[in-house]
Amino acid sequence: MATTEPRATLDVSRRDFLLLCAAASGAPGASLAPRSALAADAPKRGGTLRVGFYIEAATMDPHLSGSKIDRQVYHNIYEPLVTLDVKLGIKPGLAESWQQPDPKTVVFKLRRGVKFHDGTDFNAEAARFNFNRMKTEPKSVRKGEVASIDSVDVVDAYTIKMNLKRPDAALLATLTDRAGMMVSPKVAQERGPELERNAKGAGTGPFEFVEWVKDDHLLIKRNESYWNKQGGPYLDRVRYRPIPDDTVKRQSLQTGEIDVMDYVQPRDVAAVKADRNVVVVDVPSLADFAYQLNHTRPPFATKALRQAVAYSLDLEQIVKGVWLNVGVPANGPIPPTSWAYDRSIAPIKRDLARAKAKLAEGGQPQGFAFTMTTNNIPINVQEAEVIQAQLRDAGITMKIKLVDSATLISDGNSKNFEMISYQWSGRPDPDGNTYQFYKTTQGTSLNWSGISNREIDALLDRSREVASQTERKKLFSELTKILQDELPMVFIVHPIEPKAFSPKVQGYEPIPDGMMRFKDVWLV
Amino acid sequence: MGRLVLRRLGATVPVLLLVTAGVFLLLHLTPGDPIDVMMAESVDATVKENLRRELGLDRPLYLQYAAWMGRLLQGDLGRSIRNGEPVIENVSRRLRPSLELAVYAMTISLVVAFPVGIVSAIRRNTAIDRAGATFALVGICVPNFLLALLLIFMFGVTLRWLPISGYTDPLEEPWNGLRSLALPAITLGLALAAVVTRTLRSSLLEALAEDYVRTARAKGLSEWRVIWSHVLKNALIPVVTVLGLQLGTLIGGAVITEYVFALPGVGRLVVDAVFARDYPLVQGVVLLIAIGFILSNLVVDVLYGWIDPRIRSR
Repeated sequence: MATTEPRATLDVSRRDFLLLCAAASGAPGASLAPRSALAADAPKRGGTLRVGFYIEAATMDPHLSGSKIDRQVYHNIYEPLVTLDVKLGIKPGLAESWQQPDPKTVVFKLRRGVKFHDGTDFNAEAARFNFNRMKTEPKSVRKGEVASIDSVDVVDAYTIKMNLKRPDAALLATLTDRAGMMVSPKVAQERGPELERNAKGAGTGPFEFVEWVKDDHLLIKRNESYWNKQGGPYLDRVRYRPIPDDTVKRQSLQTGEIDVMDYVQPRDVAAVKADRNVVVVDVPSLADFAYQLNHTRPPFATKALRQAVAYSLDLEQIVKGVWLNVGVPANGPIPPTSWAYDRSIAPIKRDLARAKAKLAEGGQPQGFAFTMTTNNIPINVQEAEVIQAQLRDAGITMKIKLVDSATLISDGNSKNFEMISYQWSGRPDPDGNTYQFYKTTQGTSLNWSGISNREIDALLDRSREVASQTERKKLFSELTKILQDELPMVFIVHPIEPKAFSPKVQGYEPIPDGMMRFKDVWLV
Repeated sequence: MGRLVLRRLGATVPVLLLVTAGVFLLLHLTPGDPIDVMMAESVDATVKENLRRELGLDRPLYLQYAAWMGRLLQGDLGRSIRNGEPVIENVSRRLRPSLELAVYAMTISLVVAFPVGIVSAIRRNTAIDRAGATFALVGICVPNFLLALLLIFMFGVTLRWLPISGYTDPLEEPWNGLRSLALPAITLGLALAAVVTRTLRSSLLEALAEDYVRTARAKGLSEWRVIWSHVLKNALIPVVTVLGLQLGTLIGGAVITEYVFALPGVGRLVVDAVFARDYPLVQGVVLLIAIGFILSNLVVDVLYGWIDPRIRSR
């Protein structure tokens, strides 16, 4: 278990990953290459794309959604004010352009001639309605994301002015997803509660919601009057199906019962790549998989003991052995796909002598015992067991407590843990991977570790005020270094999220947020 | 007969009370909270508190149970916390695939079990009997998920005769529907067939040793006639008992099979609801499963009376 792997192999795979990220940001090379002879032709209209998901969507209301899988559907039926390109840059969406006359004001010029699927117009009033809904609807999960917006003014029919409570450099990136998605005010007012299950007429996107039979399928069809006449939508329909068993989902793709699968488990990647009837696209993610350490109680209230754990871990071994290199060791919360990733900062290296010195410094020269709480799913259990073995080499005894995700969340929220798994799907702006986790907060928050550090707080606030990306990158590098020392979390891996396609599927563009936008996708 | 049915129905009330109260308590004592799950990405604690208050989750448990019971008596099972859909709609939509699957699996099990069971009993201690015993042992020992994956590999991936996953309603598209449910029904049916085969064989052997069998043979009846008109009916009681219990299990408990084959049934609904801590939904499904068990047992009791008139007169 504890033998060290030859480092060269891992360095290569890590470099490959970075190259891959670069390739993904370079776009054409990484999008699906045509495989069959027919594919060289121009895009073809028609056909139903069948997509296999690992889990059922939770709700069709983007303002109430708290689950990643929902967004896969949303990005085809709803549209945000601004969208992401492959390099995570911001490009126009429902807003044609935007300006920032001062740090606390953003003016958006909205696109004309856009209609919701119910036939009503998208305009400045509709946009204002949506932001008010996110801020006031009792079940809104968007409140935190739009917290910096004080009010939205309608300047004219197609212009809105956002008045901010404080400068917010991450705001635009936040508006590329659910917080920027526009719902038809008519639908929201007339059938608000029903919108959770039925999104008929609600969006402006390239596809319209048709029906959703829970645990069976969710069907969307082409929006014939889509405003953007360039490119797609080409597909007649997209049919999503939840197939909870990974093996069965993979076999469904291999036998042609589905055309796309949202995620390939690391253990299946090699098998799927070897199958000539399947095309695999490695989509580097924004995710950050780590363990939060509870700063509010022993043993991890003591910094030296947190460090002892970090120096005992061999991330390269974990990424190679558990993740089968479908990911890279993490140096902090910011993934290699981000412009803010600092490749000069190495992930923490295993150093048992140093770990033992830290144990002595923390007053536990003979080692100590603690409990790790993690999800009862195979890859998490494997990872926990490897970590357990690695810690044992340093004389640290780790017990593993396996729980379901509801228990994990409530244990985390109530700080009822010593070390707990935290798998964050990631956000396009580094702010989304940092602020809410490390900023001093009272009561429940995502800062489960309970870290409260003035230096970190100052950096985080500063990173929201500064507009220049170069300046912000420096701040995040500084933050990463402090996090490696303070260790509110031990960072493990930035996973890759491979997606698999039938060779018939053409035109998919992998954006690192992992969302599958089918506007320009077509079938041979 | 009518009295029997009435008496049995009367006895169901305390059973249902106990089951629902037990599940309610267990569920609320389990760590985890529906609002935390729903708002896992939200940082706003006051929002969560407000929502909890709105849904009545901040009240003492006995009040919550009383409120649920009160609504139930008016025929209202409440709404799902997760998506606001009425529980009754959710559950009734899921019941259909589960019932279809149960009936299909039961049919397969009977078609397999009766011939194998009867032949094993008649040709006791021969190679045929031993083959039957091996089949039963395998059927009982192989876990559902393994059998399911083997069947998928054989009939779905290699031979490509049947679809691997998904559900088509046989009542709407009979051929495609039966095809879509074939692999899960075989998975469940074979395991059930194994149990039924063994039960049938042993009760047949017991009946074959009875005096009336000797008399029937002495009358010169063919062995087939003896089994068919005299022995089989007397040997049916234990088989019906097993089938009745299994029907209840099939309706609510085919969780793994439903997961593997991605079927939208009751088992998967209840497991997902437990993971989301969607209390009203779990309560509703559990109530339904309990009623399913009670009804299938009632059917069994009525069948007893039909099979054996002595039970009816008691």
